[in-house]
Amino acid sequence: MAEARQVPEVAAPAVAQGNAAYAWPTHPTYMGTDVQRIDGPDKVTGRAKYSYDIQRPNMLYGRIVRSPHPRARVVAIDLTMARQAPGVKAALAVVEPNAILMFQGEEVAAVAAATEEQARDAARLVKVQYEVLPPLTSVEQAMSPDAPKVFPDGNVREGAAEETGDLAAGFKAAAHVVEQTYNTQVQTHVSLETHGCVCEWDGDKLTAWVSTQAVHGTREGFAQALKIPQANVRVITQYMGGGFGSKFAPDAQGIICANLAKQAGAPVHLMLDRKEEHLATGNRPSAYAKIRAGVSADGMLTAFDAQTWGTGGAGVGAGFPLPYIYQFPNRRRQHKDVYINAGGARAMRAPGHPQGCFITEVLMDELADLVKLDPVDFRMKNLPPDAPDARWRAYFPIAAKLFGWDKRHPTGDATPGPIKHGFGCSANRWGGGGRGSHAHCEILPDGGVIMRCGTQDIGTGTRTLVSIVTAETLGLPIDAVNTEIGDSLYPFSGGSGGSTTAASVTPAIRVTAVKALDALKAKVAPKLGVPPADLVASDGRLHARNDRAKGMTWKEACRTLGAEPIAVDGEWQPGLSASGTSGVQMAEVEVDTETGVSKVTRLVCVQDCGLIVDKLTAESQVIGGVLFGVNYALFEDRILDRNTGQMVNPNMEWYLIGGPSDVPEITAHLVDQPERGVIGLGEPPAVATAAAIANAIANATGVRLRSLPMTPDKVLAALEQQRAGGTR
Amino acid sequence: MDHPTPASRLVNDTHCANLRHKGMYVTATPDSREHDFYDAYDATVYWCTQTQKPLGPDGRPVHADHCKGGRGCCEH
Repeated sequence: MAEARQVPEVAAPAVAQGNAAYAWPTHPTYMGTDVQRIDGPDKVTGRAKYSYDIQRPNMLYGRIVRSPHPRARVVAIDLTMARQAPGVKAALAVVEPNAILMFQGEEVAAVAAATEEQARDAARLVKVQYEVLPPLTSVEQAMSPDAPKVFPDGNVREGAAEETGDLAAGFKAAAHVVEQTYNTQVQTHVSLETHGCVCEWDGDKLTAWVSTQAVHGTREGFAQALKIPQANVRVITQYMGGGFGSKFAPDAQGIICANLAKQAGAPVHLMLDRKEEHLATGNRPSAYAKIRAGVSADGMLTAFDAQTWGTGGAGVGAGFPLPYIYQFPNRRRQHKDVYINAGGARAMRAPGHPQGCFITEVLMDELADLVKLDPVDFRMKNLPPDAPDARWRAYFPIAAKLFGWDKRHPTGDATPGPIKHGFGCSANRWGGGGRGSHAHCEILPDGGVIMRCGTQDIGTGTRTLVSIVTAETLGLPIDAVNTEIGDSLYPFSGGSGGSTTAASVTPAIRVTAVKALDALKAKVAPKLGVPPADLVASDGRLHARNDRAKGMTWKEACRTLGAEPIAVDGEWQPGLSASGTSGVQMAEVEVDTETGVSKVTRLVCVQDCGLIVDKLTAESQVIGGVLFGVNYALFEDRILDRNTGQMVNPNMEWYLIGGPSDVPEITAHLVDQPERGVIGLGEPPAVATAAAIANAIANATGVRLRSLPMTPDKVLAALEQQRAGGTR
Repeated sequence: MDHPTPASRLVNDTHCANLRHKGMYVTATPDSREHDFYDAYDATVYWCTQTQKPLGPDGRPVHADHCKGGRGCCEH
């Protein structure tokens, strides 16, 4: 096993400082244009094989026995009957007697059998005796002074208090003060492809086909958990159907699958079902904020005082940025993470940001109403200074023009009839810088090109980006490049998360392709009588910069290699990518005040991401992010029974997701910033949508919803409260 | 091919070797201006490689503040 090394951290500037040797092309052929996904045909025809689709000789199917109770002590586990069931080849206990189970769905035992049906039957034959213990089922219960101390270190973890400026002076300067409580729900990831893998042992070497966002990270995770060398593990992810931050490790099911395969002496396929997904594979924590905020008579923010809390279930991670973006000079905040007996949180598409954005942006509209300012004008007065990584002052006017914001009416649609229309706006920010990727390029004597990188395409188009940058650099058609990714045998690349992949991978590909091209130029130059530095590659030819006729075709150039291909390694270098994105969204909604149903009809997103590599997949990211936000705003909600703590909607029937008729008209206006280099885009568009929708609903109905999701019952309740004179 | 181990500002040599969070696997660059737009907050979700859960082998939640010297299940 090679000596382990640490991946160094480096700071990325807001604007790439330039890298002359590998600079991005100034007049690209493909970059920044609409390039179709190279694997689109494979996906729509079913040729693309996801982990779920992997079939191995003599493969078995695994099934996990999970706790039905949110809190229980395991008294005994009896595998006898399961082991005797038809087709069963392996059975194991995951926990020992006396183990305390802390959430519904926690793994208790597992079986592997010849068919899925046999595995399910055998799982039902595992006899587990539980001593059911009273659970903590809500943050309110967990935080109450008389709550049982369920977690050994206490049910609440206090965060550090943040305080800036002079709060008393800030409130003294306020002409108006808002005091309200806001909250967001627990959202599960609902990846279309569930978590899971296929594990196969060959002696002491493990091959795992895993639905993961990190082939290298998952390799490390298997090795650490199984106490085997990383070099003995290979993780493959050719295609995967979404993870949204929840798939960075082998997880319990991965380790169980490997152990079942070891015990059975056969490959095991263990993919989770939808109920298991909801219960045990992570979620976005809830957020609560009790806020007092002040604004001066001329519309300047003066003070912000907040107590915040939230739950990530049986784990931490419920922090969120607050206030978000806008400048409160005097502010204080105290946050608490609350533990309850429910599945733990995991990173989820811009962790913390949708919560902080929703709470702040709804508050901003409330303050704008008090000072009788248009919401955009009010925001413009309180935004940070304009900068390359903070361009809201430029983007609000662009979005307003695209959207037709000047047609906005004051809060409360005064037109007759039950259907009310409204506009809302919001802003977002995210980092998105990457580093650390490596790649390997081969130019073959027959003209073939192979680019290998140990990244993975989690549905965002990374495979296509690798092909684009390689083809652009070598002057070849995109389909002339063989892009190989999704395998931990390929050069190291980090996990695909935090919107880092494009900024991490594309510079590595650029550097590697330039190096490979330089090697080919060195071979060809003497034959053409042109110095290597004067050769360029374009349109499938290698030729003199100022004399296109003085050259040869790509194939002719490669033929000069004889039997020895060019094989070069390259890695990410600074100067080709940056960090820090900003965006603005505006939404139009239609609210039926008789049914309480809200429908988003139109949404404009103005968003930057540095240098755009593929306009089509970038726009696709925006559209996907907006839909994510629509679901967060109106539909998704993990609901726990307040008495038993069991999830009452662990499916896709009652855990609501929008359908085709819920998709608004989306305008994705991408701002190209070639001077900044590449920046990631996965997270940013998902952040601001719910807030813009919430403000649009308030603009339509005249009532303010401060709680997500904004379901019909909440709309009707708010309208009823208004009629009763209960709200402002 | 070498085999890098995860690095993190939040998890270092003083912490348990089994403590993990997503940032250890994502090769991000620090967003140096982040705190110009919002104060410090912690949305980090941790897990233990031995349980693959946010709870350690001793049943207590895992966190960079907890998973270091003095906790019985820690490994270095």
